[in-house]
Amino acid sequence: MAQIVLENISKFYGEATALQDIDLAFTDLVTNAVVGPSGSGKSTLLQLINGLVRPDQGRVFVFGKPIDYQHLPELRLRAGYALQGTGLFPHMTVEANISLLARLAKWDAERIKARTEELMKLVNLPLAYAPRYPHELSGGEQQRVGLCRAMILNPEIFLLDEPFGALDPITRNEIQQEFLHLQRSEARTVILVTHDLREALKLAQRLVVLDRGCVVQHGTSAEILNNPANAFVRSFFESQLEA
Amino acid sequence: MRVLIIVLMTALLFAGGGNAAAGRTVVVGSKHFNEGYILAEVIAQLLEDRGFSVARKFGLGGTLVCFEALKNGQIDVYPEYSGTLATAILKLPRRVSYAELQDTLKRRFDMELLESFGFNNTYAIAVSRKLARQRELMAISDLAKFPRLRVGLSYEFLNRNDGWPGLARTYGLVVRPVGIEHGLAYQAIGEGKLDVTDVYTTDGDIKKFGLVLLEDDKHYFPQYLAAPLVRGRVNGRIIATVGELAGTITDAQMRELNAMVLLEGKSFAEVAHRFLHGAGLVTAQRARVEESKWLTLLSRTVRHLELTFIALLGGMIVAIPFGILAYRVRAISRPVMYTAGLLQTIPSIALLAFMIPLFGIGVLPAIVALFLYSLLPILRNTTAALFSIDPVLKKVSVGMGLTAQQRLRYVELPLAAPTILAGIRTAAVINIGTATLAAFIGAGGLGEPIVTGLALNDTSLILEGAIPAAILAILTEWAFEGLEKGLIPRHLLQRAAE
Repeated sequence: MAQIVLENISKFYGEATALQDIDLAFTDLVTNAVVGPSGSGKSTLLQLINGLVRPDQGRVFVFGKPIDYQHLPELRLRAGYALQGTGLFPHMTVEANISLLARLAKWDAERIKARTEELMKLVNLPLAYAPRYPHELSGGEQQRVGLCRAMILNPEIFLLDEPFGALDPITRNEIQQEFLHLQRSEARTVILVTHDLREALKLAQRLVVLDRGCVVQHGTSAEILNNPANAFVRSFFESQLEA
Repeated sequence: MRVLIIVLMTALLFAGGGNAAAGRTVVVGSKHFNEGYILAEVIAQLLEDRGFSVARKFGLGGTLVCFEALKNGQIDVYPEYSGTLATAILKLPRRVSYAELQDTLKRRFDMELLESFGFNNTYAIAVSRKLARQRELMAISDLAKFPRLRVGLSYEFLNRNDGWPGLARTYGLVVRPVGIEHGLAYQAIGEGKLDVTDVYTTDGDIKKFGLVLLEDDKHYFPQYLAAPLVRGRVNGRIIATVGELAGTITDAQMRELNAMVLLEGKSFAEVAHRFLHGAGLVTAQRARVEESKWLTLLSRTVRHLELTFIALLGGMIVAIPFGILAYRVRAISRPVMYTAGLLQTIPSIALLAFMIPLFGIGVLPAIVALFLYSLLPILRNTTAALFSIDPVLKKVSVGMGLTAQQRLRYVELPLAAPTILAGIRTAAVINIGTATLAAFIGAGGLGEPIVTGLALNDTSLILEGAIPAAILAILTEWAFEGLEKGLIPRHLLQRAAE
């Protein structure tokens, strides 16, 4: 069984349908990009996996078991989470932000320091930034800190919700390169939500295309590019790639 | 929880001195007006001379506060007036004899109303000595012969049913009086602009302006005989000692004692000692040295801070958790806020008065009242701060796997801290101001000179309490500013200030 499986999932917000009849097994140890126009349910789908959203119907399997909603923190510690706007804690230094989960897990100080520095080097953050506060960093640097924070416990899966969305093109490109570098050095199952198809094609091996709460196509990038399942997928790709 | 217990224990410890039943110290109380202080000081010094140790709870906020305090055993004795007991406390519809009054108090409240000091502080009609000689005025009934006299009366006396209307009926007076502010009436009579006014029989001003009191020959005015009112359960020796004061002070003497304080600026203690010495009730020179002003100020300030900060600490211990609870459980958020808001609307004096039946007088009820006042600012700021945390940060903290406890401890409370601290700061400053009123229920502090000053109409005495209290409030503001700078990263403070 794959690490992350959605079984017959539906989710409604009042009258509105957010997701409908989703059956999906994400591929382990590669980057799975979830793409689609805004409002198609990408974020909701991602948040099903760490229990931020509970399905109205169906089951979510993570690490081979249905999610136990009574013990979500345990699950979440094994699923790194980063999102747009970084969500860094403004009252903590860079170092404190990155190491928070390790401190809560009662790692010893040396191990925390070593892991923090390792991650900062991995994403090209100067170690001198460790005692600074997030507001003293640029948007790209903050995003890198967010990634480090999500990776501190070396989680088996990685949930990224438009993590590079707010960055300027140059910075975005840099971080994307670092992300690829990261995946090569510590490969893991990544679910990446993005509205940017180019980013998806660059970073992901597999794509999930969503439209109005339904999965319209799921496969490798090449498969979908060469054989769009329907007119929607074709036009979505054309409009995105021409722009 | 342990902290809460420690705080309560501390509060009780401090309040312990107020419980008369606990120790052998005799607690003497007084109302907050000149004569009350003098008589209480007389009682206190007499007891001290006879070897009792005495605690003074002077300047209590009115008849009801004193009476309740005596009933609850918070004080052992205070000077009271027979007329006040009959009308304000017992609410008797008709006039009763002194013996009946004594009986009723004994029966209903187990209190001993001792024999009167000997003077009667009631309403009286006064004229200038010159006019009295010219017209041969001796008694009120003589006034009926002179319908053209200029009569100026205090507004209260003019309108009270047991004031002028009844007096005019009883004596058949046809003269038309005008209303005049009591303080100005003396001056007007002194300058010959007014012939007749109402006074209290023991006013110190009577002597100063050389007035003559007309005899109430038809016994119209009720008697307000001043007497020590003693708790029934005290040692018989105390009753015997205080009883020595029976019949020792005449109306004229009381006027003189009042004048010594009001007009000559002598201290209550000095006036009381002079009287006791002169009456041969005490022989020894007073051994007690007058405390230095600075020491007094220091001890008042310390007490003031005690009241303020124990209450503030209690407020924090209760309001912050309740604020968190109101944030977590939306359903209780409104009831909690409204309750705290309601407490805030109770006028401070009324809240202090409500505390007396529950906690007596002294430090404890004052702390409880201040504690209640500090709840709302802290509570409101706590919930407001928690509710206004950036939703992205909340979502991240949940999504990354923090438990509810960890989120509170590491994310929500630190982010809310600047606003919570601002609430505590508001509460602290409010408390410093409100604590000055605590002197009305015998809690001491910087309110003491203010209360006394109000009774004596002595501005410099009022300032002796008001200025240090204001300085304390400013210092507290500074201290909190420093605390904020120390505890909270600068960039978060700026954000909170925006």
